Amino acid sequence: MRFRSKIVDVSCLNHFTRVINTISKLTKTCTLRLTVNNLYFILTDKVANGGVSMWCELSQGNFFDEYQMEGVCMEQNEIFLELIPENLSRALKTAQNAKSVKVKLTNKHCPCLTVALELPSLSSSSRIVTHDIPVSVIPRRLWNDFKEPSVPEFDVSIYLPALKTMKSVVERMKNLSNYIVIEANRNGEINLKIETDLVSVSTHFKDLGNPPWVSDDASQNSTQEIDNMAEARIDIRKLLQFLAGQQVNPTKAICNIVHKRMVHFILLHEDVSLQYFIPALA
Amino acid sequence: MYYRREYTKAQGSVHLKQNLCILINMKCIIPGRHTKVFGKAVHSLSRIGNALWFDPLEKGLALRVVNSSMSAYACIVFSPHFFHSYHRSALHEQGAAYAEINFKCKYSVKSVLPVFRSLSTLEKNVDKCTIYTNVNEGYMNFQLFYRNGITKTHQLAYEECEPLQAVFAKNTCPNVLRIQPRVLSDVVVHFPSCQEEITLSVTPLRVSFKTYCEEELEFSKSVHTEMHLGPEEFHYFQVGEDAEVTFCLKELRGFLGFAETTSSYISVHLSKAGKPVAFSMENMFFEADIILATLAESEMGKSSQKSPGIIAGSKLCTPNPGTGVSNAISLSENIDSQQIISTKHGNAEDAQQDTVEETPNHSPYNKFCTLFFGAVSSQTQENADRMFCSLATASEDEDEDLCHRRLSQTF
Repeated sequence: MRFRSKIVDVSCLNHFTRVINTISKLTKTCTLRLTVNNLYFILTDKVANGGVSMWCELSQGNFFDEYQMEGVCMEQNEIFLELIPENLSRALKTAQNAKSVKVKLTNKHCPCLTVALELPSLSSSSRIVTHDIPVSVIPRRLWNDFKEPSVPEFDVSIYLPALKTMKSVVERMKNLSNYIVIEANRNGEINLKIETDLVSVSTHFKDLGNPPWVSDDASQNSTQEIDNMAEARIDIRKLLQFLAGQQVNPTKAICNIVHKRMVHFILLHEDVSLQYFIPALA
Repeated sequence: MYYRREYTKAQGSVHLKQNLCILINMKCIIPGRHTKVFGKAVHSLSRIGNALWFDPLEKGLALRVVNSSMSAYACIVFSPHFFHSYHRSALHEQGAAYAEINFKCKYSVKSVLPVFRSLSTLEKNVDKCTIYTNVNEGYMNFQLFYRNGITKTHQLAYEECEPLQAVFAKNTCPNVLRIQPRVLSDVVVHFPSCQEEITLSVTPLRVSFKTYCEEELEFSKSVHTEMHLGPEEFHYFQVGEDAEVTFCLKELRGFLGFAETTSSYISVHLSKAGKPVAFSMENMFFEADIILATLAESEMGKSSQKSPGIIAGSKLCTPNPGTGVSNAISLSENIDSQQIISTKHGNAEDAQQDTVEETPNHSPYNKFCTLFFGAVSSQTQENADRMFCSLATASEDEDEDLCHRRLSQTF
């Protein structure tokens, strides 16, 4: 297995850093899957992380100036690593004025993802800082655990309101309750609600628009009322973690709701897509 | 505006020697533009230890601090030029004797910090700051005169106490580096805030800072960071012998917080593992030093003995983890490090034997703290008691020469 890559462009570096920061806010550990064209940050739904799962896909060509990888074998030309995204995020934090950042797989005292920063110095030669981030290589027999989740058979798909607005609403609601109900319909409306013994609060968003999904055409013809609300009650902290942690400034943010089962968020930003699944609570 | 803050143990009594009637006053006036620097000094020392000593000397007002494990000692001496006026102690003689008695006191850092809470407003709004004491009253006054006419007076009760003082003959160190504080800050920023110790190694070709981890287990868990600086980054670069020292990072960070605000160079003096490393700076207004204990060689030896084996082993099983280029480099590094290690191996064994003889109680923590104040004692057994005394006593002028003489024997 080999992997080496290099980022030179400052805006690519910033963009990459923001993606990593977002991921480190969402999960403590995750799986990094490297293929010839893409990088994936994956969190599978295990009971340990509250059933939350994540799938983040980056196209390497848009971030890296150099990118070479060689998987286990020709047929399965991929690498799966488990790492703590916080470590990577911390390593990149001080790389903001770096001339170049190299990320490579090394085997020092243990398998490591080595981040080498080339920083400007007072003299003509540059300063090199290396961070060896320990990773564990995931054996092939476990690769099946990290399949791309299929988009669920949702009842409603809707564009989210400005994430900042939504964040400040949810932030305040968090002080009142541990759970939040998200409900939405096919008429571009989302309601965020909390209900406790003492207080009920709901915030309404209108005219958000519903994204056209190919599979939608069939169901739209059905008799189902477009004003019917699909709802899911979820852990408010998980939602806030997602809203507060995201730094990708998506061009599109979509929310799919499977009635009483789960909420599926998709953030799209040029070459990055981030999917986040939060299961509904009874 | 007038209020009193925190009365702890007020101890106003002064030892009266030989029928002298002594009224000791210390008074200094810090001009407005310097209050921020003084405040910054208090802030950065507060990150090192809990007790702050005020020690008015002839050459200026010294602020001293020692960390809780006694592995770091910092001292900032503000010269009389720093102050608008500086009066150390008023002497009242009776009869023919003209005595000079030093007044020294100790505070809890927590009580001094609020006086200089907001540094930016201090600089903008304070006209001058007066620090004075009247021993008969038993507390020290910090008066801040604001431009808008407000005067804030903080009265802090102090504990009269001889300050601890680390004595370390810097000039015997074979390795001296002089560098901008900014560069050192740029180095430490790459280490995570939870990182406790870092290793500094110097060779004539380069200086490197790297993560120190105590156990093999940590190796595969934590991020290992390494940074190299070439000799050309230093203002002055003198490496007499290769050295590798491991010291605590938190205290150095505290010190750099202060150093960064000035443009003076920091001098780093180091000799070898187990001997203290000193970071110091001086200009016409102040002299600042921090002396850090370093891990004894036996400890360092153990950890570095492990690594080549591991590296070599892993190279054998998985030939090409990274790229050809990086492998080639790491190979040559391996050879180098193995050579270094092999020599070190011998030393380490010696050192281990030594430590067994000297300190039967070898908890790593103990070892770490003994290095600094204790290392002195371990060298010459007969001097041990005397040395300890001199460490603990004040920096009284008459003692200073004595200290130096003793030190040159030991360090």
